[in-house]
Amino acid sequence: MNCPLETRGTTELLVAYSSRGVDAAETVSLEKHLADCPACREFVSSQRAVWQALDLWEAAPVSADFDRRLHQRIAQQVSWWERAFGPLRPLLAYRGIPIAAAATLLVAAGVLLDRPSTPPAPPPRTAAVQVDTLQPEQVVKALDEMDALSQFNHSLKADDSEPRM
Amino acid sequence: MAERVKRDMGAAAAALDYDAELMLRVKDGDGASFGVLLEKHRSSVIHFLYRMVQNQAVAEELAQDVFLRVYRSRGTYEPTAKFTTWLFRIATHLALNALRDGKNERFEERLDHHADDMPARQVQDGRPSVEQALVFEARLDEVRRAVAGLPDKQRAAVLMHKYQEMEYTQIAKVLNCSESAVKSLLFRAYETLRARLAHMA
Repeated sequence: MNCPLETRGTTELLVAYSSRGVDAAETVSLEKHLADCPACREFVSSQRAVWQALDLWEAAPVSADFDRRLHQRIAQQVSWWERAFGPLRPLLAYRGIPIAAAATLLVAAGVLLDRPSTPPAPPPRTAAVQVDTLQPEQVVKALDEMDALSQFNHSLKADDSEPRM
Repeated sequence: MAERVKRDMGAAAAALDYDAELMLRVKDGDGASFGVLLEKHRSSVIHFLYRMVQNQAVAEELAQDVFLRVYRSRGTYEPTAKFTTWLFRIATHLALNALRDGKNERFEERLDHHADDMPARQVQDGRPSVEQALVFEARLDEVRRAVAGLPDKQRAAVLMHKYQEMEYTQIAKVLNCSESAVKSLLFRAYETLRARLAHMA
């Protein structure tokens, strides 16, 4: 057999052999190779050491009240949902029904939003509002125009006071 | 047509997988079947989570979330995959989220307080000497640190391969990746572990 360490994609064969074992045919073939390949022997030896080291790590026992706490949480967290939607649960198994319900809600929302409504009454116009909307340039222009009119009136009066020929 | 094919596939999966059949009974309102599933998988889920997060209290809290999700999903459950694949997919997802959210704050604490989480080791005669106990603790600490040092996904792959005895295909389904990606994850993980733990032979 080709060296698993030098053949792409077959290294896991060495991992499998070093941990849980491989089938009889592969074992024979691999052991024949291992006899001649120090690199693979070294790999197998170190992988077995890792496997044994991991065996040292035992998990702690589960708390005695784990199930009680779980059932308590299930009762707390599921009960409100069950009360609200429990009777509808069999319907959820049919995918069309939730989709139809969602579509109905969307249509209803669309109808409500699209409903023609009376336009809001415009706010009463007040002098203050108008003053607020005047720009400074407009004020200056109006003053200039008033000044021009005043001068025009003044010149008219002056013309009237002169003796006519 | 597609619905019928899916149902047939589900029935076939359930026929092969007794757990899936139990879960289908839970779906039909049989609470006792949920108890059977809990009894059967409680320890393996907690032990997997414990080795992932290295804190017994956090592991049990996460395991509660796993079984709560299983129970809440009963209404929409379809046996499209092996039950344990689905179960460990939920467990791995929660563990990876927990590690991502609180890894930096809790990591040192986990390693420093592990002695409280672990059962007292008994050698075969039941009376370990102080020296034996110290040596064992030192070796165990080394193993824990080596595993904790692996990237999260590699760690999950190693734990499922070593302790849950899952095949590459199942690990791939749990981690939602290809089988070759799992082989690569495991190879890199074991390479790291060999560098750190091979001397313990």
